[in-house]
Amino acid sequence: MCSAILDLTEDTSSVDPDEYISALMKWHFSAETGSPYWLRRARSLDFDPIVDVRTFADLSLFPNVINEFREVPVEDLIPRGLHGVDREVAGIFESGGTTGAPKRFVMFDRWMDFALGWDEFHYADLGTMNTLAIAPSGPHMFGEFASRRARRHNGVKFTVDLDPRWIKHLIARGDTDEADRYAEHLIDQAAHILTTQSVGILITTPPLLERVARRDDLVELVREHIRFICWSGAHMDADSRDIVKQEIFPGIPLKGLYGSTTILGMSRERPEERPDGLAVFDPPSPYIVFRVVRPETGADVEFGERGQVVMNHLTKYALLPNNLERDTALKVEPLPGALGCAVAHVRPVTTFDDTAVIEGVY
Amino acid sequence: MGSPVYIDALGPTGPYRSRERLPLTSLSGARIGEISQVPALYVRRTLAAMRGAPVVPAADRFAALEKAADLFLTATIGGLDPEEYIRLVSTASGVPLGVVRQSVDWVADVLRSQRDTVELAMPRGAVGDWRDSRTLDGSAVWTRRGDLFAVHAAGNTPAVHGLWPEALALGYKVALRPSTREPFTAYRLVSALREAGFPPLALTLLPTDYAAADVIIAEADYAMVYGGQDVIDKYAANPHVLPQGPGRSKILVTADVDWREKIDIIAGSVSHLGGTACTCATAVLVEGDPEPLARALAEKLHEIPSLPADHPDAILTVQPTESVVEVDRYLRKVSADARPFLGGGTIVDELPSGGSVLRPAVHLVDSSTAPQLDVELPFPCVWVGPWRPEDGIAPLRDTLVLTAMTTRTDLVDALLDEPSITNVYLGDNPTTWLRPGIPHDGYLGEFLMRTKGVIRTGV
Repeated sequence: MCSAILDLTEDTSSVDPDEYISALMKWHFSAETGSPYWLRRARSLDFDPIVDVRTFADLSLFPNVINEFREVPVEDLIPRGLHGVDREVAGIFESGGTTGAPKRFVMFDRWMDFALGWDEFHYADLGTMNTLAIAPSGPHMFGEFASRRARRHNGVKFTVDLDPRWIKHLIARGDTDEADRYAEHLIDQAAHILTTQSVGILITTPPLLERVARRDDLVELVREHIRFICWSGAHMDADSRDIVKQEIFPGIPLKGLYGSTTILGMSRERPEERPDGLAVFDPPSPYIVFRVVRPETGADVEFGERGQVVMNHLTKYALLPNNLERDTALKVEPLPGALGCAVAHVRPVTTFDDTAVIEGVY
Repeated sequence: MGSPVYIDALGPTGPYRSRERLPLTSLSGARIGEISQVPALYVRRTLAAMRGAPVVPAADRFAALEKAADLFLTATIGGLDPEEYIRLVSTASGVPLGVVRQSVDWVADVLRSQRDTVELAMPRGAVGDWRDSRTLDGSAVWTRRGDLFAVHAAGNTPAVHGLWPEALALGYKVALRPSTREPFTAYRLVSALREAGFPPLALTLLPTDYAAADVIIAEADYAMVYGGQDVIDKYAANPHVLPQGPGRSKILVTADVDWREKIDIIAGSVSHLGGTACTCATAVLVEGDPEPLARALAEKLHEIPSLPADHPDAILTVQPTESVVEVDRYLRKVSADARPFLGGGTIVDELPSGGSVLRPAVHLVDSSTAPQLDVELPFPCVWVGPWRPEDGIAPLRDTLVLTAMTTRTDLVDALLDEPSITNVYLGDNPTTWLRPGIPHDGYLGEFLMRTKGVIRTGV
């Protein structure tokens, strides 16, 4: 089968979106190239993906199957059409596991390298330096991305053990003191690295970056040595971002990656902010494509409006359509030629906990 | 209202308007303005900066408090003159105009009386400053237990801001998180205190969401938090938090007193401030047959007219109709077998001008252990029940203000000995009586201060 259009390319301007989607459907739903999971799953779909899905918009026919990834054996997720270097696995990565059992995904080496390159231009002038990752380790893709980032700068990766599920478990149990101790334990270890080692790139999550910022001695060290801060894995609200950029770490590039294990990658922060100062995130279309929808109807919102984020991973390495994320964002005009949209001002879906407490006067 | 009202944070370097903001609306749903919601990062940095700031000397504090009282009453602050501010509080929160006025005056009185209040609260063996000559021979010095005091304010009436200024007077730095429903008083008061001389790092206003609000409590040395039973439970084991929860204030009338002469005081205790204060009577216990009292009280409260909150004669609180309906539904549920004498049909009285009045409710219960006696609702809602001497103190426990209409001195002794009764008023004093200098929940100084032994030579 001819699938050249599915080969990853930096310059996707010549890729016809509809042609790409059609080829992608043929790949994932043909017996010789598709994964056992999708070939099996296709039987219970009420449409024929090869016939009925010809455009990006048609992808909305797919149900959100992401919960099935909690149970599927990972071998079943490997498309049969992958061979040779295409078939090299970088790792098995898992979602956070906040809601029930974690979902498991196969990360292929080629795709991971491509995904890492998506925000490469941010790092272009940095040269040789080491990386410190205060980020989820173990089955989380964040740690592996940091390792690869370090290698690209001919440096090493310093890191700490970080089990985000244990923190979430403590918080769910209401044991915020213990969660706090765990987080401080991470910062203590990072402090030791920052104090004794040469580090130029800091990769971490917004909550941990805030903890670094709470310690005056670490703020000094970061200001002195760190040349680039990359955050991901959680939300950074626009107000906090302003404070970090303007007051805490002025002059140090601060760039976010907004993504998810469930799409095996991230969107990158645009070099230029919107006029209102908000960061804009572009996914690597057509491989990862975002939509922003009205949660009640699933219909796309207009540009400039807020809605719930839907993420799609659309490569020959995996098909992960219609992931409704637990985030809302403003829908922003995409890069020229890109499918879907860019997003800005991402924040978690508000869990309205104002359950009317009536008794009492306050 | 004309131009939109912005409630910004008042931080270390002045006003701060965050991108994250919530709408402020009037009872009719009209947009009034927006309130900033600062992130936890801003909160932490503000509190850290406050901690590093010097303490304002006592003389300057008292002078500024007194000056702030005048500014609070008379100045144009944030573009609002006093009359506009009072009207805004009433239209936004549904608190009757007269109640707002009364509360504003109360807050000003509190500010003016801090010099005396602090003096009254200080143990007699202590001096306020180690420089006092008494320390040459050895003396107690009254000192702060901490440095930073956090307040999660409520929006019932501006009067809730009558408690925390005592912390400022004691030399604490205060971080105030305003109510989102009525942040106007907090904003006006903090602005007035700053204008009167408190430096920004001595007093900040931090409008924020629940998560960051927890950060304020966690990072401060001591805190005062307004809320319901959930808040009381949340902080019950935390010795650094002084929760201000349901008051469950009560009136006890023993058989040696004729309640008929007191019905106005009893009704006033129920309806004062529209029934929204923790000092408003939630239960009335009567030795003998309680039914005639319930009937008479219902007649009194029935006379109160339903008026828009901004009507000069309004007494009852107005809220958005859907929340009043919800309160009404809740009342139906909890009243269960209690006999209604007023408000048995509905308490919802929809106004043509928008929102609904919460009409008073009077119910009779058949026992001093009826669970309804503890149900405090944010409107004039009172439960009347029987009390017998053999019931003892038990039905009177967990009470912010207990007005005992009695001549039995042994009973008065027992009420004062009961730890869960916070204030005991006797005879013709409504539960809602307050005066600056008389404690409401103890002096704040009891919570925030301690004595240290000091003896000195050479300095």
